[in-house]
Amino acid sequence: MTRTGPGVGAVLVRLAILVGVLVLATWGAHVIRDALDLRVRPDNEQQVHRAIMLGAMAYVGLLALPFVPGAEIGIAMLAAFGPAIAPLIYAATLAAMTLAYTVGRYLPIGALERLLWRMRMRRAAALVARAAPLAPEDRLAMLLDRQPKRGLSRCLRYRYVALALAINTPGNALIGGGGGIMMLAGLSGIFAPLPTFLAVALAVSPIPLAVMFFGLRL
Amino acid sequence: MLRIVQIAAIALVTFATGAATMTVMNTDIPDLAVPDGDWVAGGALDGRAFDILGTDLASGAVLEDEIIFRDGSFLSVDCQSYCDFGWSAYRTKTVDGVIHFTARTICPDAPHTVVWYGTVRGGAVTVDATWTTRRWYWTNQIAIRAEGASVPSFTGGTTG
Repeated sequence: MTRTGPGVGAVLVRLAILVGVLVLATWGAHVIRDALDLRVRPDNEQQVHRAIMLGAMAYVGLLALPFVPGAEIGIAMLAAFGPAIAPLIYAATLAAMTLAYTVGRYLPIGALERLLWRMRMRRAAALVARAAPLAPEDRLAMLLDRQPKRGLSRCLRYRYVALALAINTPGNALIGGGGGIMMLAGLSGIFAPLPTFLAVALAVSPIPLAVMFFGLRL
Repeated sequence: MLRIVQIAAIALVTFATGAATMTVMNTDIPDLAVPDGDWVAGGALDGRAFDILGTDLASGAVLEDEIIFRDGSFLSVDCQSYCDFGWSAYRTKTVDGVIHFTARTICPDAPHTVVWYGTVRGGAVTVDATWTTRRWYWTNQIAIRAEGASVPSFTGGTTG
């Protein structure tokens, strides 16, 4: 028995729901921004500066952790401050991804697992524990969850492209989010630092660049 | 040892990329353009003070201020309450009986630069100003337009 995919009607309904969610999210972001009145004025500039610095540090730290939603902070900052904050968000995202990769690559896997347990990040620790006994290629397979065998070998060959796509795939939070993916990439040992850095630098650029150059308001 | 060098190299490349991103993508916003002319060091408005009521042109927020001229120096009381700008030199030129003035004030504790340009006709003043903040990650500018009237000459110390 062969499984048939969803019909055209079902796809259109899902698409409409997705567009609806995006419209609602955009509207909500505007409502929240207006309610917070985050305009920079002479009397609040110092507080706004401190909030941006704290937000950026929290963003880097949280985004680098597996299964911790951090991207929302970046999107919230883009929504609040617009295109002017895009370069900072881009640099912070790059720093977070590189941090996660570096931790995965250079921290002994046992120490990393214990550290995550101590931080009470059980899902992240379990992810590392699952990866520990696996061969590097199998760790990559964890990154590319549910890929068929043939697709997997192609992904292995074009692993940097696959990594960039995995970081940008909606719903990647299920396999650890950007931080988890980069940590696993580091753990796998098959991603060299420089090409990984270049792949990530390109992978995280679309949203900040779009906001910066096209003036998109979230 | 090699591991530490590699980690340091990754950190360095990340930092350099971040710095390059900021340098290339963080576009500067120029201060208020003050018209050219035969500007001379201040003095023409010494001993005068003005109450002004202005608007932040972007947000519409209303700003009340008092600007004071003394001994060739200029001070905004409102700005003084946000940062210790202190007294700054001002320049003037007179065209058809109208005194034009300009001043550039710099906050010593934070990267704020305020450029003022105004005209005084008798007891009335109109002012344009930009408050520009140049942080390492962005440049923010508040443009202000105000007008006001002369008030009795200021003789005491500054506030803030």
